[in-house]
Amino acid sequence: MTCHEIKNVTVPYLELDLEPSRIRDITLHLDGCAECRVDMEAVRQVLVRVKGLAVPDPGDRFWDDFPDRVRLELARERPPIPFSLRLWKGRAVWPMALAATMLFVVGAWSLAGLFDRGSPPSQSSTVAQTPTVAEYDLPQLDEAEWQQFWDEDPDLALADMAAGLDRQAVDRLFKDI
Amino acid sequence: MGESDNQLLDRYSAGDEAAFEELVRRHQKIIYNLAHRMLDNHADAADLAQRTFVQAFLHYQSFKRESSFRTWLYQICINLCRNAIRDRAYRTHEDIHEMELADPQDTFADVAGTELKDRMGRVIHTLPARQKEALVLRVYHDHAFEEIGTIMRCSEGAAKANYHHAVDHLRRALASNEE
Repeated sequence: MTCHEIKNVTVPYLELDLEPSRIRDITLHLDGCAECRVDMEAVRQVLVRVKGLAVPDPGDRFWDDFPDRVRLELARERPPIPFSLRLWKGRAVWPMALAATMLFVVGAWSLAGLFDRGSPPSQSSTVAQTPTVAEYDLPQLDEAEWQQFWDEDPDLALADMAAGLDRQAVDRLFKDI
Repeated sequence: MGESDNQLLDRYSAGDEAAFEELVRRHQKIIYNLAHRMLDNHADAADLAQRTFVQAFLHYQSFKRESSFRTWLYQICINLCRNAIRDRAYRTHEDIHEMELADPQDTFADVAGTELKDRMGRVIHTLPARQKEALVLRVYHDHAFEEIGTIMRCSEGAAKANYHHAVDHLRRALASNEE
């Protein structure tokens, strides 16, 4: 090997990062070449000195606080989550879901009440409180008032009676027809 | 035996804050050390180490797990260091090429009479960024050249060449100073 070749492999030689046969060749050359030995020693000294440089430890407090500082910075850098999505994240989910369900049930119940106002009563209540046909048919007037109403305008009286009838009463009145 | 980094990362992605803390604590010293060796002062190193973790956790979903989590952190840290060194060069109106090609004798003239360690530290500081990265990763973090190549996003051969140039640069600088 030539001195020039040795200069190119000083670092891998010192780190044993070469084929064993190459290391042997270099060692042989170094044994007979004082100049290359000096160069090799200079490189070794550099590596030893570089390795000896230490980084000052910033102390326990710095290390203890470090994760929290990262967490804070991370929260600052994260893009803000839209409010609608935020509601579904974290602890608010179950109370929100419960409240929404209750609102839905109450709303549905109220709406059902509105639409059911004219619907027939259930079978059991029908048995207990079934009014007579006469009760259904007669408007809430006493005898004298009713007679007067009929005398004045029979058509209007009939129309008024018809308006007061519900579907059940109509069915009952016309069931035989 | 403790959990692996990837297991902790899985727990973190499921919302486990304790896993986040464990991951940071596990790697904080080594990342700070790397940043300090590259930037040569505590304030910048602390800031850069913090930013390394922030970037890692912001983009952990892009971590392919082809390398170790630590190697991935090294990559992020090295990239941030390059940007910081470039910004610093702009701030001080220094031409980075002039800095890289500075005559070692001039560097040593400035620091004549100081302790050997200080001199060595300063000479390392004048190394071109990629040589410095290779030197730091090899000497202080004991990485194989293959891994240095992964971290620096270059070939193993290029990592070796950068390292050898760095050592040679230091040897010449030291020799010039001792003459």
